[in-house]
Amino acid sequence: MKIAVCIKRTPDSESRFRIAASSTAIDETGLKFDIDDFASYAVEVALQLNEKQGPGEVVVYAVGPDAVQETLRKAMSMGVDRAVQLKTDSVPYDGLAVAKALAAELAGGGYDLVLFGKHAFDTSSGVVGTATAELLGIACVTAATKLDIANGKGTARRELEGAAETVEFSLPAAVTIDEGIARPRYPSLKGIMAAKKKPLETKPAQLGDVRITVKALQLPPDRPAGRIIGEGAAAVPELIRLLQTEAKVL
Amino acid sequence: MGTSNLVFAFILTLGAGFFALNVQRLVGYMQIGKSDDRSDHPLVRLKNVLTIGIGQTKIFRDPVAGAMHATIFWGFMVLTAGTVEILIQGVFSKFSYALLLPKLVYQLYAMSQDGFAALVIAAIAFAFYRRLVLHPKRLEGDKLEHTDALIILGMIGGLMVTLLLTNACQYLLDPSAIGPEKFVSRQLAGLIAPLDPAPTRLFTVFWWSHALLILTFLNYLPYSKHLHVATSLINVYLSNTSGPGQKGVMRPMDLEADVDHFGAADVEDLTWKNLLDGYSCTECGRCTAACPANLTGKLLSPRKIVINSRQRLMEKAPVALGDHMEFMHPALVHGEGDDAGATTLTEVLEHRLLDTYITEEELWACTSCRACVQECPVSIDQLDIINEMRRNLVLTESRFPEEIQPAFESLERNGSPWAFNPGDRALWAEGLEINTMAELMERGERPDILFWVGCMGSFDDRAKKIAVAFARILKACNVNFAILGQEEHCHGDPARRMGNEYLYQMLAKDTIGTLDRYEVKTIVTSCPHCFHQMGNEFPQLGGNYEVIHHSTYIERLLQENLVPLQSDHGQRLTVAYHDSCYLGRYNDVYDAPRETLKRSLPVINLVEPPRTKDRGLCCGAGGGRMFMEERVGKRINVERTEELLATGAETIAVACPFCMTMISDGVKAVQSDVPVLDIAEVVAGQLA
Amino acid sequence: MANVLVFAETRGVALRKVALEATTAARALADATGGGEVHALVAGPPGVGAVAEQLGKHGADVVVVVEHAGLANFNCEVAAASVAARVKGASYRAVLLGFSAQGRDVGPRVAVKLDAPIVADVTAIQAATGDSLIVQHPGYANKVIATLEVKSPLAVLSVRPSAITAQAAERTARVDTMAPAADPAASRVMVKEVVEGGKGKIDLGDAPVIVAGGRGLKAAENFKIVEELAAAFGNAAVGATRAVTDDGWRPHSDQIGQTGRQVSPQLYVAVGISGAIQHLAGMRTSKTIVAINKDKEAPIFKVADYGIVGDVMEVVPALTKAVHEAKAGH
Ligand code: SF4
Ligand code: SF4
Repeated sequence: MKIAVCIKRTPDSESRFRIAASSTAIDETGLKFDIDDFASYAVEVALQLNEKQGPGEVVVYAVGPDAVQETLRKAMSMGVDRAVQLKTDSVPYDGLAVAKALAAELAGGGYDLVLFGKHAFDTSSGVVGTATAELLGIACVTAATKLDIANGKGTARRELEGAAETVEFSLPAAVTIDEGIARPRYPSLKGIMAAKKKPLETKPAQLGDVRITVKALQLPPDRPAGRIIGEGAAAVPELIRLLQTEAKVL
Repeated sequence: MGTSNLVFAFILTLGAGFFALNVQRLVGYMQIGKSDDRSDHPLVRLKNVLTIGIGQTKIFRDPVAGAMHATIFWGFMVLTAGTVEILIQGVFSKFSYALLLPKLVYQLYAMSQDGFAALVIAAIAFAFYRRLVLHPKRLEGDKLEHTDALIILGMIGGLMVTLLLTNACQYLLDPSAIGPEKFVSRQLAGLIAPLDPAPTRLFTVFWWSHALLILTFLNYLPYSKHLHVATSLINVYLSNTSGPGQKGVMRPMDLEADVDHFGAADVEDLTWKNLLDGYSCTECGRCTAACPANLTGKLLSPRKIVINSRQRLMEKAPVALGDHMEFMHPALVHGEGDDAGATTLTEVLEHRLLDTYITEEELWACTSCRACVQECPVSIDQLDIINEMRRNLVLTESRFPEEIQPAFESLERNGSPWAFNPGDRALWAEGLEINTMAELMERGERPDILFWVGCMGSFDDRAKKIAVAFARILKACNVNFAILGQEEHCHGDPARRMGNEYLYQMLAKDTIGTLDRYEVKTIVTSCPHCFHQMGNEFPQLGGNYEVIHHSTYIERLLQENLVPLQSDHGQRLTVAYHDSCYLGRYNDVYDAPRETLKRSLPVINLVEPPRTKDRGLCCGAGGGRMFMEERVGKRINVERTEELLATGAETIAVACPFCMTMISDGVKAVQSDVPVLDIAEVVAGQLA
Repeated sequence: MANVLVFAETRGVALRKVALEATTAARALADATGGGEVHALVAGPPGVGAVAEQLGKHGADVVVVVEHAGLANFNCEVAAASVAARVKGASYRAVLLGFSAQGRDVGPRVAVKLDAPIVADVTAIQAATGDSLIVQHPGYANKVIATLEVKSPLAVLSVRPSAITAQAAERTARVDTMAPAADPAASRVMVKEVVEGGKGKIDLGDAPVIVAGGRGLKAAENFKIVEELAAAFGNAAVGATRAVTDDGWRPHSDQIGQTGRQVSPQLYVAVGISGAIQHLAGMRTSKTIVAINKDKEAPIFKVADYGIVGDVMEVVPALTKAVHEAKAGH
């Protein structure tokens, strides 16, 4: 089986973000970037499928500046066979434009399966996977929490709001991967060494028209400092009131 | 030379020859291990041999068994001289040391022979009693082990008895041959005389029995754990566990090396020294008896680790070396755990030390507390094997308890084992007016010391209080210090202890870069792990600093009367101090924290739990255990806390933020409300 | 003046809440662009057209009904094709839908079919002038809010569930029927089974509310007050600290923290949890944190939005009762 995984390089989610002076980008100083969490689940799923299905190929793709090479290497250190960087100066917020670049590249690739993360931490949109599938004209399942391939067919489970569904789909297909499906493996030093020698190809990305631009980024208001609202059972009514009116979670 | 001399000469050659052959094979086997230079510091090594080896200092850590063993050991040393005499006599009947030695010396020698023979017999009798009646827990192994021990004890006993009987017969035959120095033999002669006043035949029987027993014993050694008789002194000489060099330092590792795997998965990946450790293990079980993991019911037994390495060596080496002498491979076969002994060549090749003999679960149970190393009477380094095998698990096979992956990832991304925002690192210091290195640098100033806060001190709410307390003490003493603030990140020690050398080196080198940029000379830290890592292991990567643990630093300040203490000291407080492994067994800092407590609280009543100082029981957090689940057996921290509380202490003092967490949790678990305080907090509480 | 098309999602023949929210957003957008019409498309099994009335009440001028026996389960390909076909045959300023499981599927497909830019997970539509739309979209796990400009005569926007409150805008919708624009039977993805949740145990990762207990509960049997509180919320899962799972009071799978699950529910209630570093690492990112602990110095109060100092055995049952009452009063 031939599997492509499209990954993204995103900053660590624990970071405290600051807005850059331009106010349209985040300040990257001090941020640690790595393969996006959801994308790393997708890589893991691809590797597991490949191990189960017998010899095949797993290829990773990333759109972005040269910094993504590090991310691609990381995927290769996990066991991916080779990598392709679709080079741009920056990754636009416009998911459709990115999908066009990926689809153009993947079209002739002969992939049975193209995997994505459910969405990326930074743009949190979940557009690229589905759009790429649609551009390629292949089946697409989003937010899979289980994935099986057998006899040229796929089965996946997806969580809906308050329900779950099992879907069956034909190959080739694109699947976007949700959390909880597999814990991404930790690359061994052996894998890191091997990744240095694996092929990493760089090509210009054929982005579509970028029609979505960032006007401004803002930080949400600070979380109010914790407070002790009272002692003992007497404080319960006040808590209920706050949960209803302030936190709006009840 | 009579016929019997010739016959004996022949047997002697045969016996000695076979022994020599086996020694050669054992040495050959050992060499399948990796190289390791132990030719340094001959004087320190000699000192170790004299104290630990000849002086039996470690043996005496168990006073009863210690006395027994030391008697046999010293007896052996003395009687070996006699054995040589007897062997020479077998070939040249007229030979005697009396021909070579001044009379007085010879008489002393003769007396020692008899005296020690008797003492050894007594010790052997006690050893039998101990094994067969008392059944000490630490000697519980499989049945084979006891048989082996009993055979050996029997042989030693036999040697002593036949020696004395030979002497007794000889005395009856020729009273001038045995002087009054051999008082035991003469007494014995009195018992034999009524049976046979001229026991020529008995003499022959006893002499031959003794001589043959010597050769049998010699040739039994390579098949027994009692090979340690031959190897232990050599092993003590070559060992690094009591120096030379800093204790407990993990081996440097070249990550750029062109190798197909890292760390140890099989015996070839260990060093020859690790393999010699296997030959030297006496299976005494002292290590396992002191192991916190083992004694709280985990699978890990450091003795098993050593014995398994030996078992696997015996299985693998003959195949690896093409030693086709199928017959009588030096076996040392018996061991611990399921007998994984291979029966076919394929099996030998399929097996490996990891998995076939030693499971992942055992390796991850280790807290790296070094209690095993500390106890071992023959200076074996059990922990070195565990550390190397963990390296293989992580670096080569990427196999580890899944709960440590977040720790690895956070270390890599956030510079601490927890997923906390690195930007929050210095929040604890807000409002305390503590300078950062960067601020001082900007002003063109330089502090006297760098206070390395550590990840616990930076992020853990409880440990932050320790950081604040220590900073208050420094301020009160007008010490010119600074912190790195947001520029500090983990030095990688937890990663190293968990086998992730790659991550460790990345973090450590980066830390060294930062420290060197600020030209840091002296570092003080309240965390023993930081203290050990930066002080003892950083030099491997070119980072050389004077690193001082806060207990030592505060003690110095107190000694110099720099700490403004309150004058009234309130009521008498009973305090138990819990030793941190990385402070104690790794760095021999036992007194500084105790002194600090005594000086700051002159009315203190310092109580010690039964396991204390270099025998102190680990809190359970070391070796990365802090980041792993403890699902099997009793929790180590609870075991330790119960012991500390049993002293009647009203306060438990610690000197390590990890101990703080573990012991505080332990106190909660047993629903006690005894406060747990860091020594810095105790001192800060007494500030005027 | 421009019309706006809503893909109004349904499950079976019932409308989903987010469909009304999208309709409200569409109404506002249509009004802002000079009073265009709001059209809503529903695709489902026969009978689904009945939702037209409800959509009309929320501001839909036209409801396009795609009914087909093969649409008993949601069919993304048919939905996307039908929406695209409808847009191609008319003139729309924007297509709106919910950023839900269905919407994630349909939105990007429609965008591709129409070659229109798509912004997902929109929390507010701020302005519409000419070809330009200004929308708000939270990124970085809600840690950064982006204001985006979409420049296109036609745009697809999926709105975040619950971000916009559905509002009445009474109309009687005209109903248009339409045949599915793709053959439901020819779909490459077929739903085989839908398992309704809510009956089984809610997974910690999915639960909007988590009630977790720590050693402050003192004994395993006291854990039932945590379970009762979770039951009162109805949509809550039960979690525990490492000390508790280590002690065997709860299974290890319930553990929240560095070595267990990392969760960020809407509401996290910490019962008798002191807030050790290892636990905080697993729940700090929860949206609202409530802590109940007898020790007012406990670090958990530093991260808690609302803290009650007191004996958990007294406070928690009182809270359980109050939550029951609050729910009943709704
Ligand atoms: S270092 Fe400590 S825990 Fe590890 S094997 Fe030795 S005694 Fe046991
Ligand atoms: S390793 Fe040392 S302490 Fe442990 S059983 Fe062997 S000889 Fe005894």
